[in-house]
Amino acid sequence: MNFLVASVKKDLARWMRDRGAMLIWLGIPFLIGGLITSMMDSGGASPTAKLLISDEDGSFISGFVVGAYGQEQMADFFVVEQVTAEEGERRINDGEASGHLTIPEGFQDAFLNETPVTLTLKTNPAQTILPGIIEDVTEVLLDAGFYLQRLFGKEIQTIKDANLEGEAADVFTAAISVQIRNKIEGITRKLDPLAIELEIVEPPPSEPRPDYALLFLPGIILMAVLFSSGSLAADYWVERDKGTLRRLVSAPGALAGFVTGKAVAAFIIMGAVVTVTLIVGFAYHGVAWSKFLPSLLWVSLGGVGLFAWFSALQMLFPNARVANIITTVLLFPLLMVGGSFFPLAALPDWIANLGRFAPNGFIVDRLSGELVSATAWSISAESWLIQFVITASGLVLSAFRLKTGFARR
Amino acid sequence: MLSVEHLIKNYGDITAVDDVSFEAQAGTVFGLLGPNGAGKSTAINCISGLLTPTAGHIAVAGHDVVKDGKAARAALGVVPQELALYEDLPAIDNLRYWGKAYGMRGKELEDRVATVLESIGLADRAKDLPKDFSGGMKRRLNFGCGVVHEPKLLLLDEPTVGVDPQSRNKLFDLVEAHRDAGACVLYTTHYMEEAERLCDSLAIIDHGKVIAQGTVAELKAQLGARDALQLQGQFPDGAIRGAIETLVDDIADLEILGQAEDSLLLTLSNASQHLPAIFAAISNAGGNVTETSLRSPNLETLFLLLTGKELRE
Repeated sequence: MNFLVASVKKDLARWMRDRGAMLIWLGIPFLIGGLITSMMDSGGASPTAKLLISDEDGSFISGFVVGAYGQEQMADFFVVEQVTAEEGERRINDGEASGHLTIPEGFQDAFLNETPVTLTLKTNPAQTILPGIIEDVTEVLLDAGFYLQRLFGKEIQTIKDANLEGEAADVFTAAISVQIRNKIEGITRKLDPLAIELEIVEPPPSEPRPDYALLFLPGIILMAVLFSSGSLAADYWVERDKGTLRRLVSAPGALAGFVTGKAVAAFIIMGAVVTVTLIVGFAYHGVAWSKFLPSLLWVSLGGVGLFAWFSALQMLFPNARVANIITTVLLFPLLMVGGSFFPLAALPDWIANLGRFAPNGFIVDRLSGELVSATAWSISAESWLIQFVITASGLVLSAFRLKTGFARR
Repeated sequence: MLSVEHLIKNYGDITAVDDVSFEAQAGTVFGLLGPNGAGKSTAINCISGLLTPTAGHIAVAGHDVVKDGKAARAALGVVPQELALYEDLPAIDNLRYWGKAYGMRGKELEDRVATVLESIGLADRAKDLPKDFSGGMKRRLNFGCGVVHEPKLLLLDEPTVGVDPQSRNKLFDLVEAHRDAGACVLYTTHYMEEAERLCDSLAIIDHGKVIAQGTVAELKAQLGARDALQLQGQFPDGAIRGAIETLVDDIADLEILGQAEDSLLLTLSNASQHLPAIFAAISNAGGNVTETSLRSPNLETLFLLLTGKELRE
């Protein structure tokens, strides 16, 4: 135990002197996380499409079309501005909007008489996604207009022709409403019983719906852990080049304390890196602080497991250069499939399933579950046990490699 | 304290140590002498447990290094040929760390660390990082790390390679102090003058084999009073050998140890007195001498006589 503590202190003192490495390990998640969050959140606002509409018809039906873009959910997406045809043309050419819709004079008559009419939609070529959405929505509205004309064309014609005012208008409107209602009920009887039922399932109120950016957090943290564990594992080569490993194996029974000491020091170093990233992540995403300790312990333990296996792997190679190259080559596929570049939930199923078996993906998957779960300590005992076994076996393998040749060369 | 019996170490088809046997006692310095690549470091590594012998038996303080390795290593201190330090840890922490590796703790450890720092002359630099030390200071700290736990057997593998004369003398003093404290020191070197100064007994090793063994006095006695005379020039084979052999009547202990077309190695007593006769005989036989090297009896001469080559070749 005395030598174990001395080994922990020794490695902590040495590694803490390398402040540049610590800053890099911390900088990676903050840089990547900052970029992703800024891309995902954009300050909390959704992207909106500015649609300029020139209503040259000025009719009841054209007013209905203009108003449709501002209804319910579409109001969150569209900013509609009515302009003259000239102003709309100028502004869309200047790139000030996503689209310019022109409703021509005679639109209502053509609609009611079922004669051809052309609506002109000019989109902004500098934008890629928003104009496409405007096109799709406009087509849906026109389709809806077609069916509206088929069902209520007569009633709409009556409203158009009536041109009443005051009490007479109210009575007339009520009569037309009854006619429309009767027609709807008639259609409903024909459609009953409904072949399709739509059930909207809302998550229970106790389970807050996670925001998409939160799904990136575990992968970003594991990115820092992977880089730090790979770098710390290279310390075995540093020690061998210094000659201290040869002195170590000449000492009686010091090997276990040495290997365990490195693992504990790695746990503390990675714990520090993970603590900082978790605090920022929890604060930003509003994750319950009761999940902080299990998340910290889980990732730090997983980090030591990665460190142990990277160490054992590095000691298989003939020199430090080859060992570092192989470790780096291995690192990026692990980051890719393990959910560090893209959340596991966003990957194709077969890659995500593969990733969950990757050492980092296993940690990411459980951490993601912990962050979005209703209660803290949601990671199963089985997962903890598996992680302990992975870590312990990596350490045993490292000690075995030290004893059977690596330290003696 | 140290017993090595019929030690063999093979690397594939190469035999690095070939049937080496020797014993070293407590309170003495035993030297293992030989040129680079002779097998000294391999033998040391087998004794320290870094390498497993192919055959043979090694015991340290009565413990077999293979069967009872932990007990054997507890009695050992190693000062490797290359530096083995944490250059990013203060000198005092290096000593504490290696002391703890051997189970020391508390006041015993702190007192011992203070004593070692004083003895290696680094008490005033205890909290400095070794990376800021001179080469000699690092060598002394390297020595200190090997003796901090007061080993019964200290293995020193060429500890003075690349060390300035002042630090070398300091290291000699440290070795002698350790020996005087009752430890056994196994000292490998290819510097004969170091062996002559420090070693009570020694073994000369070449190509993995022990070619001579005994106390320094015993080994010198093998030479008798003969000098080694090494000549460079041109020496036609048959004629020169015949000419030299005609001198044996006048110079009783003259012996040809080695001859090549451009070199001739002779051993004889009072060589300086016989040089004119030797040069004349060579000249008459059609040879000529361009360079002469005369060495009085010492270990280096012995190595030359035993192997026909320089120790530092």
